[in-house]
Amino acid sequence: MKRKILSILLAGAMAATMLTACGGAPAAPAADAGAGEEAAAAEEEAAAPAADVASEGEHELSVYAWDANFNIPALQAAEAAYKAVDPDFTLNIITQSGSQDVEQAVTLAASAGDYSSLPDIVLFQDHYIQRFVADYPDAWQDLEDAGIDWTNLGAEKISYSTINGKHYGAPVDNGTAVFAYRTDVLEECGYTIDDVTSISWEKWLEIAREVKEKTGYAMLSMDHSGDDLPYMMLQAEGLSQWKDNTTPVLVGNDAFKSIIEVIVEGANDGTIILANSWGDYTDQTIIGNQVAGVMNGNWIIPTIEQVDENSGKWAITTLPTLEGGKEGYASNGGSSLYITANCSKPELARDFLAYTFGGGDGAIETYDAALKNGGVITCCISAGKSDVYQEGVEYFNGQAIYADIVEMGSHVPVIQQSDFHYNLRTLINTLITNVQNGADIDSEIQSAQDQIEFEIAGSTN
Amino acid sequence: MRGTGSSGFPYLLKGVISLTKKARSISAKQKRAGWLFLLVASVMIFIFSFYPMISALFMSLKTGSAANMKWADPVTFNYSRMFQDKTFMKSVGNTFLYLIIQVPIMLILAILLAQLLNNKDLKFKGFFRTCVFLPCAISLVSYALIFRSLFATQGLVNMIPTNLHLIDENINWLGQTGTARFVIIFALVWRWTGYNMVFFLAGLQNIEYSVYEAAKIDGATGWKTFWYITVPLLRPVIIMTFIMSINGTLQLFDESVNLTNGGPANTTITMSHYIYNNAFGVGVANFGYASAMSFFVLILVAILAAINLKVGDTRD
Repeated sequence: MKRKILSILLAGAMAATMLTACGGAPAAPAADAGAGEEAAAAEEEAAAPAADVASEGEHELSVYAWDANFNIPALQAAEAAYKAVDPDFTLNIITQSGSQDVEQAVTLAASAGDYSSLPDIVLFQDHYIQRFVADYPDAWQDLEDAGIDWTNLGAEKISYSTINGKHYGAPVDNGTAVFAYRTDVLEECGYTIDDVTSISWEKWLEIAREVKEKTGYAMLSMDHSGDDLPYMMLQAEGLSQWKDNTTPVLVGNDAFKSIIEVIVEGANDGTIILANSWGDYTDQTIIGNQVAGVMNGNWIIPTIEQVDENSGKWAITTLPTLEGGKEGYASNGGSSLYITANCSKPELARDFLAYTFGGGDGAIETYDAALKNGGVITCCISAGKSDVYQEGVEYFNGQAIYADIVEMGSHVPVIQQSDFHYNLRTLINTLITNVQNGADIDSEIQSAQDQIEFEIAGSTN
Repeated sequence: MRGTGSSGFPYLLKGVISLTKKARSISAKQKRAGWLFLLVASVMIFIFSFYPMISALFMSLKTGSAANMKWADPVTFNYSRMFQDKTFMKSVGNTFLYLIIQVPIMLILAILLAQLLNNKDLKFKGFFRTCVFLPCAISLVSYALIFRSLFATQGLVNMIPTNLHLIDENINWLGQTGTARFVIIFALVWRWTGYNMVFFLAGLQNIEYSVYEAAKIDGATGWKTFWYITVPLLRPVIIMTFIMSINGTLQLFDESVNLTNGGPANTTITMSHYIYNNAFGVGVANFGYASAMSFFVLILVAILAAINLKVGDTRD
């Protein structure tokens, strides 16, 4: 008897789930038009398998991108802007959960030797693109004939997507690094934002210790599982960890050693918090109100802005340097759009990218909307002059931070990049941890150099 | 023919069989049909399981990017490289550390729990057994993430003693080598003890109660009964759980990725995690090297399992 009841219950549950599953689908499109757009997009995503990368017709392009709060609004803005040229134009934006998804899609297509699984355009991380173009040269189509004025785009940004003298990518965002400070906390210790601009890291550590002592706030934090501090600090000096693509210069690089010493000293003092993961970095140190300073690519600003009660208390400035007396400019992160080998309409794709992100006639419309909807800041010099950029931002006490960032971006020094950027970053994280635990800094630098040379030798054999 | 044919053979098969000589005996036909059925499964297993393994073996002898792989020079390049790779050697060390500390703790706990829960007079047995087994029903990723937030610097594990003023400063559990390793081992024990307990419980239920009664009459104490009756009779189960645990620990992945991300300074990274990093983790895939390391793990598992079987085998 018991068994019978159980089986009836199970059968009933199954029937119920089947009914809801069948009934759910037609109900969704009936939702009202206001909320409809988002629901429909989600529906489309759920219904269409990941393989739906085809762009149908003469006026459609498909694109892989990630981050619904940042890159996707920028792409939507570009789609809307390009309608002025081609009223029938549609952009089929396929949202990925993260940049790794796009990297793996390219790896997968290249390993199979079949690029038909790729969309027309992909958004790609700047630090990875050189290696992907070098390793999978057949996967890409260049932008040489697109008619883009490359001098109108930030030189540092373009240096990533220029490979063997050929331009491959149209920049989306601007990775210019900012140092944001809590002015109210600085004020408590008798400092202003000007007192922390153009200073040396030594002076910075001094101020940081004072702030820590008086207010309990740390002055800086970073995700130590992907620590970008050494890279940015070195770029602010105009230096690189690389002599050329495959030759690291860590041993004998005095600036590099001094930077590691600054980070270790700050970490030991508690003035720099090295978080265990990205989530800890953003959620606990920044949103959790543990720090009075944030230094990263300007895409970190939306994270800072998540704490409502701190509105009006922040200000941004440039980075300190080792010597002091000058402003440090750096950049971190960011991505660009690339045309894949699978694109059967390269003229349309080139024209679209040139008109919008490439600084063409639609650039101002694209970037104004991208800034408003996604906080995406352009590296296109002409688009950065639009009125929207000159507006003060309430969260930053009326400072016109976007214009400031575009201005800073034009000063970022172009430094030697390498395909092995992230491999080295991982090793430098290890180096910092070991030095923090009392290991000898010189021997640690030597072993990081040995290890990166070992890794490079392994993948270029 | 008619007799077997009516039992629902597919038409194709029927046709094949009707072609054979009528003189064949029914049993020969049935054997042939059996092989035909077996063939489908065998071909599938070969295509989806053995073929990838063989091609991975070839891949482990190649280098270069995934789009353009060529034979390594020398062919064993990837294999000799891994022994010079400090990070890989560290990951091997870490994995064995987990193995040596975690597996014995877990299995002993599992046997003791099984023994407790096998008690005939225990009330709410089903409830307790479910409780102990429940961790295994949780997905590996989600439990690892929960442990990570529990042991975060601002996590629950830190909050309680801080609020009770037992410690002044929060412990950075996942940021220091010793504590991070402890958290991983602790999490593994929590996750897998119940799973192994179920096997022991099944083994214990196969032991006749009369054996224990006889032992009791002979004056054996509880400890002696456990050591001289339960353990020897459980031997096959112990060997099986040992092999499974060794195998599982050598392939440990989710905890290293999700709990500590291998950090700090690669001191908690496991072999599988490092293999994954080489294949998909950092930049362009190095499939050749990743495959070579996978075969290294395969050989390790095979050796350890063989030793285990040899040691556990009581037949002469």
